[in-house]
Amino acid sequence: MQMAFAEFPYLSCILLSCVIGILMMLFTPERHSQAIKWMAAVFSGITLALSLYLFFAYDRGLGGLQFVEKVLWVESLGITYFNAADGFNLPNLLLTGIVFFTGVLTMWEMQTRVKEFFLLYFVMVSGVFGLFMSMDLFFIFVWYDVSLFPMYLLIAVWGTTRKEYAAMKLTLYLLAGSALILPAIVYLFVKSGLNTFDIVALMQPGTFSAAQQKFAFILLFIGFGILAAVWPFHTWSPVGHVAAPHAVSMVHAGVLMKIGAFGVLRVAIFLCPEGWKYWSTLMASLAAVGIIYGALAGLRQTDLKYVIGYSSVSHMGIVGLGLATVSVDGLNGAIFQMFAHGVMTALFFSSVGYIYDRTHTKAIDELGGLSRIMPVASTYFIVAAMASMGIPCLASFWGELVVFISAFKVYPFRGVMAVAALVVSALFMLRVVQKTFYGPKNTQYEQLPDVPFRLGIPRMILIVVLVFFGLFPSLLFDVIDTATIPFINGLP
Amino acid sequence: MTWMIFSPELYYLLVSLWFLVLSMLPGVNSKRDYFSAVLLAAGGVLVCLLAVRSEGLLFSNAYQIDLFSQVFKVLLALGLFLIVCLCQNVSEIREKHHSDFYLLLFVCTLAMLMLVSSVHLLAMYVSLELSSYALYILVALRRDKDLAIEAGIKYFMIGITASAVMLFGLALLYATTQVAHADDMFRVLPAVIDQPVVILGLLLTLSGFFFKLAVFPFHFWAPDVYQGATNQVTAYIATASKVAAIALLIRMVATAGSGAAGNYLAHALVTLAIVSMTVGNLAAIVQQDMKRLLAYSTVAHAGYLLIGILSMNPAGYGGVIFYAAALLIMKFSAFLVVVKVADDGRNIQIQELAGLHQRSPLLAMALMVSIFSLAGIPPTIGFSAKLFVFLAAMEQGYFTLVLIAMINVLISLYYYLLVLKAAYLLKPDASLPELQLSPPLKLLTGVLILAMIGLGIYPTFLLELAEAAVRALV
Repeated sequence: MQMAFAEFPYLSCILLSCVIGILMMLFTPERHSQAIKWMAAVFSGITLALSLYLFFAYDRGLGGLQFVEKVLWVESLGITYFNAADGFNLPNLLLTGIVFFTGVLTMWEMQTRVKEFFLLYFVMVSGVFGLFMSMDLFFIFVWYDVSLFPMYLLIAVWGTTRKEYAAMKLTLYLLAGSALILPAIVYLFVKSGLNTFDIVALMQPGTFSAAQQKFAFILLFIGFGILAAVWPFHTWSPVGHVAAPHAVSMVHAGVLMKIGAFGVLRVAIFLCPEGWKYWSTLMASLAAVGIIYGALAGLRQTDLKYVIGYSSVSHMGIVGLGLATVSVDGLNGAIFQMFAHGVMTALFFSSVGYIYDRTHTKAIDELGGLSRIMPVASTYFIVAAMASMGIPCLASFWGELVVFISAFKVYPFRGVMAVAALVVSALFMLRVVQKTFYGPKNTQYEQLPDVPFRLGIPRMILIVVLVFFGLFPSLLFDVIDTATIPFINGLP
Repeated sequence: MTWMIFSPELYYLLVSLWFLVLSMLPGVNSKRDYFSAVLLAAGGVLVCLLAVRSEGLLFSNAYQIDLFSQVFKVLLALGLFLIVCLCQNVSEIREKHHSDFYLLLFVCTLAMLMLVSSVHLLAMYVSLELSSYALYILVALRRDKDLAIEAGIKYFMIGITASAVMLFGLALLYATTQVAHADDMFRVLPAVIDQPVVILGLLLTLSGFFFKLAVFPFHFWAPDVYQGATNQVTAYIATASKVAAIALLIRMVATAGSGAAGNYLAHALVTLAIVSMTVGNLAAIVQQDMKRLLAYSTVAHAGYLLIGILSMNPAGYGGVIFYAAALLIMKFSAFLVVVKVADDGRNIQIQELAGLHQRSPLLAMALMVSIFSLAGIPPTIGFSAKLFVFLAAMEQGYFTLVLIAMINVLISLYYYLLVLKAAYLLKPDASLPELQLSPPLKLLTGVLILAMIGLGIYPTFLLELAEAAVRALV
């Protein structure tokens, strides 16, 4: 095996700490559930620390691929274990670290089948990490499925509303995506004639003809787009989010959907830029419909988690709109929005998780006046709701702003419609907040305790991140710029 | 010392004789039978491994020993060893028949070893029949007479029909080409391939192997035989017997499929592949019996395998060899769970897997990994196998075929997930005791899980071996 490590393999260490965590938990007896939780917290904490380090250690002046790790894996097929960090994946790695760690803390009170839960949870997140850092098509596909298949059991065993139906629907939908992705990847591999799965080698201009790019792009776009909840392939998403246990909803809405958008970027857009330009109007239309549809559907929901689910569809539409503009600003906004939406949704599900664990209901009508019963828990939710409305000073404001500015230039009509939809979504968020947290108190829940400090930690971390990047967006934009500007300028 | 290259076959012949003697001795001692079988099967794996590098021709060039045949011999020996490991408690077969049972298993394996080395039409036919006859009896040996006899007769009737068809095909081939040796056939065929009778002869000849592999339309026996036979015998049919059929299919197609002949053959095989996987997967959805479900999944897998074979390029053959190894490991793991859950040897319904994650976390995990592997989800060996086969097919431009195969993977996922749901989600009706595994069996299960994941993540070694084997062939 040929190896090339420029420096200490930080990226692999992220995966390694997941794997060590999995092995240690595997050999710990089920009855030591507290020890298992601590292991989960420690190892997810390590991944967060590593991803934070990478984010700040990345040389912004230099740009390009850094922390490169390359190991020849299967020589005869040109498969390499190739990891690298760049401006596209660093925000996502950081996001994954944050959501992963806070997700473990959110599940601190869990009692049933703790060991299996955290095992599967770790498998899922290691797939997410692997996908974000990989630069090899074979590994991207492998990680994609690694992050999906634990979902079935995670939802079906620990979930709530209609969990078996949701688990089956979600798994089949998402793997239908991989049924399109794999043929497309194999097609590109064979057509390139380079006998390599290495994305950097395959993305050289002239590797694929325009017709090949158009054909492969649409397959890859739909395949990955299913996971990004692109309208009309979104129907698995609200159902899945509602049924999943809290931490899984957090990772799922917060990170897993980003995998879909990231796959569109890393595989479809990187390898088939001609196809990207050709299909961009379609992408923009689907994204705009998704934004409007998500907002309107959210208006009618009576279940807290469904509301968040539809708002996710709407927000992922913004990411899609950004990707469809084929411009530096659009890409910047899309990636920023991926990060901001991830943190925001994680906060949503985490705070709903606390409320649901106490009240055992997610129905908006049955709650009410919660802000006087558990003011702290309510604050967490309301902050998330404000982020969702795009209030300035919170991170999601910048993502939406940049996407809409760039979208107005390219697709004025769709841009206007999308902004109008945002007003609707602000309306439904306010309605939910008003009905759930204000208004007459439901006396049934009066005795319930508020969030103790210990359990509030994960939510506070998420709020700090939201505010921090809301105040200092340039920290994130600087990193993203190092990738998007050279990429767009390098397009033929 | 040319006979040294024949040592695996001689070894299995001697072992069979040993069990023949045992079966004639007075008194019943199933423990003795079991332990000698395990040891001798392990010895068989060793002998085949030692002989892996030998090469040569025997019996007036009718018998070819090369890396291709030797790799398959190792797989077959391994398959037999694994199955014998499960036979500690074959309560479904009468104790006095235990030595006959092992005798037949070893004879059948001997026949398959001979099959993968045959390059002469007659040698091929004789070894195929020998292995089939052993299996006919094995299927009918079950204590439950009704089920076993039905399965046995069905297997026998369809089997001999397939044999007759194959013999007819061989006769047609011989009549047109006047040669019976694969090498000569290779030379003569291109000149006469345009004649319909040759195409017909080839397809009819292949039917014999399609029957073994349970390719549509020769799959009707599979569900009933799988259900009717003892669990261990079913496991043997699903693993070792498939591997042998795959070997011969590759050898035949590689011989006949070069040049213009390939086109005609490929068209037929594409059709069979698509129908096999679709029929297998759709029929599996409604199955309640675990073994019937696995039978239909075998039909589907035969379809995926054909994709590699019909690509008719070295990458495809290599992929199929890899697939054969993968099938052996993952199917066996699934049957390991079936055998252990059905401790008294009964047939089990999918519902009976309920609560497996509590009764034996290790078995539940083995089931989960083998299920994902069968469905072809990375990072398991089943995925790597499918990927290699798809790559080969795409090289020949079969985009639609790959897409159809992936849609089939999706369909299959549905019923595989139902099995998983039973094992991890459902609560058992009554509180069943924990399943106890003996330490060696625990080790075996662990090794299987590791192999399924390890070879999926790092397939290089096995893939290179498969590629080397193909180079010996083409």
